[in-house]
Order: sequence, then structure tokens, then C-alpha cells
Amino acid sequence: MKKRDREDIFGEPDGGDPRGEALAGIARMMSEETAPEPPAGLEERVMARIRSFRPSPWRVLGEALLKPREVSFDPIRALRAPVSGQECSFYFIMVGIFYAVLGAILTAGLHGLGALQGAPGWVRLQPPIAIVTAGCMVAIGLYLLKDGKLALRTARIGVLVYLGFALLNGVFVSLEWNVPVSAYVSLVSALIGLPTGFFLIRTLQNCGKRYA
Amino acid sequence: MKQIDEGEIIGRVLAGDREAFADLVDAYKGPVFRLAFRMTGSARDADDLSQEIFLRAFQSLARFRPGERFFPWLYTVGLNVIRNHLRKGRAVPEDGSVKGVPETADPREDPADAAAGRERSRRIQGYLLRLPPAVREILILRFYEGMSFEDIAGLTGESLSGAKMKAYRGLEKIRVMMSEDGFLDDESRG
Repeated sequence: MKKRDREDIFGEPDGGDPRGEALAGIARMMSEETAPEPPAGLEERVMARIRSFRPSPWRVLGEALLKPREVSFDPIRALRAPVSGQECSFYFIMVGIFYAVLGAILTAGLHGLGALQGAPGWVRLQPPIAIVTAGCMVAIGLYLLKDGKLALRTARIGVLVYLGFALLNGVFVSLEWNVPVSAYVSLVSALIGLPTGFFLIRTLQNCGKRYA
Repeated sequence: MKQIDEGEIIGRVLAGDREAFADLVDAYKGPVFRLAFRMTGSARDADDLSQEIFLRAFQSLARFRPGERFFPWLYTVGLNVIRNHLRKGRAVPEDGSVKGVPETADPREDPADAAAGRERSRRIQGYLLRLPPAVREILILRFYEGMSFEDIAGLTGESLSGAKMKAYRGLEKIRVMMSEDGFLDDESRG
């Protein structure tokens, strides 16, 4: 085709070629057509259907999930500046996903090594503890999507419980499991739990500033 | 078309004020109806489809991204509704006959001129209806609605060169149909 894509498809002028001129003429005829008017009462008919429209619960759920949301991921800024409930929610859900993966690895790893038979009760509980923590974090994250004061208060209590539990968990493992590796387990638990907990607390404080 | 603040209206509709949607219907009923009519060749189908398009747009409004232009988004919804309608076998007649011609605001004062203009419109619309829908929609958007090929490519999902190629082939097919029908001779006589 070319010739500058037939002058951008007959935004004219092509010139010279009789077939091109015929096509440009047809394009011109179409452009010069008078526009048909919409029938009278179309607007009323549309609005009548819209007024009587009742969405199904599935549709409401689908719309709520598919609704575009702006979520930024800037943890450094979240420590300093006010953040939205949605961003806060995002961090909780990320922590939840981390614990879900950790729970799955612990379950598979402890079973695979045959460690569960010889380990004390508290150590055997580590995989379910990680999975329950994951569930709680995701639940708090979803609640924070509501972006309300009550959701923030609940999240704060949740994080304090989480912080306390992270510390106690490390101590219990060390006390109950009298093998050298238990010190590493305690250390890892504290190293993951404390910074994560403090980060979430700080983010919640910054989120709360929006209501101040 | 009166000037409206689309963002503000959409915000009100999403907040639960359904009546605010009437402003959007009022602003865009013309282009939506024209698109449906040109694609189907039936004023009755175009009326039904226009209602369906606005209803679908209302239902999907939560998915509309703030900052996006409303009109192209509405057109995309419209094209999907029309394509579904055509795919379900409620396609246009093979001979391209036009059913129920809607009113047009014809600027020609002479009744004979106006009648000739209507006949020409009817015949061109007939040729258009004999083209495949994917080609038809590109010709409509380009020549009746005056859109740029960049916008058309965005709306239809075609590449820029693909949209141009379809437009060219569509015009060429219409030229062939016109010369077989003697339309061009009639035009040069008229």
C-alpha cells in the first residue's frame, strides 16, 4: 500500500492513481453522510432499565474484587509519611503470604527430616503456628481495606500480640528443645518477628495520622 | 453535546446516585446509537443495543479507571456488545438491506436533493453491511466518526498497520460492489 499509507487512508490527498481517487471519493462520501438521530425516548428507556437493575450478589462480589485500586509499595516512605489503609493492608497481606510459605516449608521440612518424632511439643507446633499467623495477618489486611478507625485499632492489637508471641516463641523453643540448633531457631524467630512487628506498628501509626 | 464533568458524574454514580448516569446517556446517546445502527443496519436493533450498551457500561463502571477518557471506554463496551449480538446469529441480512431508517437532520433544503441524499446513504449503508464486522467497524470509526487510526487501533485491538490495511481493503470491496451495482455511474449522472 504505502504512499504514506495511502495518505493515512484517505485523509487525502493521494492523487494520480484513479483507483486511489475512487477510494478517496468513497471515503469522502461516507464522511459527508448526515448522522442518524437516536430515537425519541431512548434516554428514558435506558434510565428505566438502570433504575430497575439489581445486581446479583456474585456480581457485587466480583465488582468489589475487580475494582481498580492504587497500591504503592514503598516501605521506606511508609515508615515516615502517612499511608493509606490500602497500603497498610498490602503490607499485612505480604507478611501473611510470607508466613504461609514459611508454614508450608516447615511442614514439609520437619516431616522430611523425620524431626517431628523426636521434637518436643512446642517445636512440633511451629508449622501450624506459622500458618495461623499467616491467616491472621491476611484477615487483618483485608479488614484494613475498610480503612476505618476500628480496623486500625484491631490491627494494632493484632501486631502487639504478634510481637509478644514472636519473642515468647523463640524463648520456648530454646527452653524446650535441648539441641544446639534450637538457638538458631530462636534467633531466626526473633530476627523475623521483631523487625516485621515494629515495621507494621510504625506503618499503622502513620496510617492513623490520617485520622488525627 | 453539552459540556459535562465526566469524572464528577462517574464519582456520583459510583457513590450510589443512579440518576446522575442520565447526563452520560444524554451526552453519548447519539454516537452510541449511530455506531449500533451502522453496524447492524436496523434502527430497532440499534435502539435495543444502545440500551444494552449503556446498561453494560453502568454495570461495569466500577472498573472504569479514574483519569481514563470515558468516551473510548464506552465505545469499547459498545463494540463488545455489538460483536456479541452479531456473533449470536442476529447478524445483518446478507443482501445488506437496511431495516428502519432513523431520522436524520438533513441540512439540504431541496426535497429532491434530500431524497437523493437519503437514497445514497441507504445504498452506502447497504454496502457497509455486506462487509465482515471487523472491517465494518473500522470504516465506521474512521469515516463516520472521524477517529484517528491510533484511537481505532486502541479501541478494536488491531495493530495500527492492521487497522489501516482493513480500512483500505474495506474501501476497495465497497468500490467493487459499487461498480457492480452501477452506483458510481448513478452518482456521476446525478
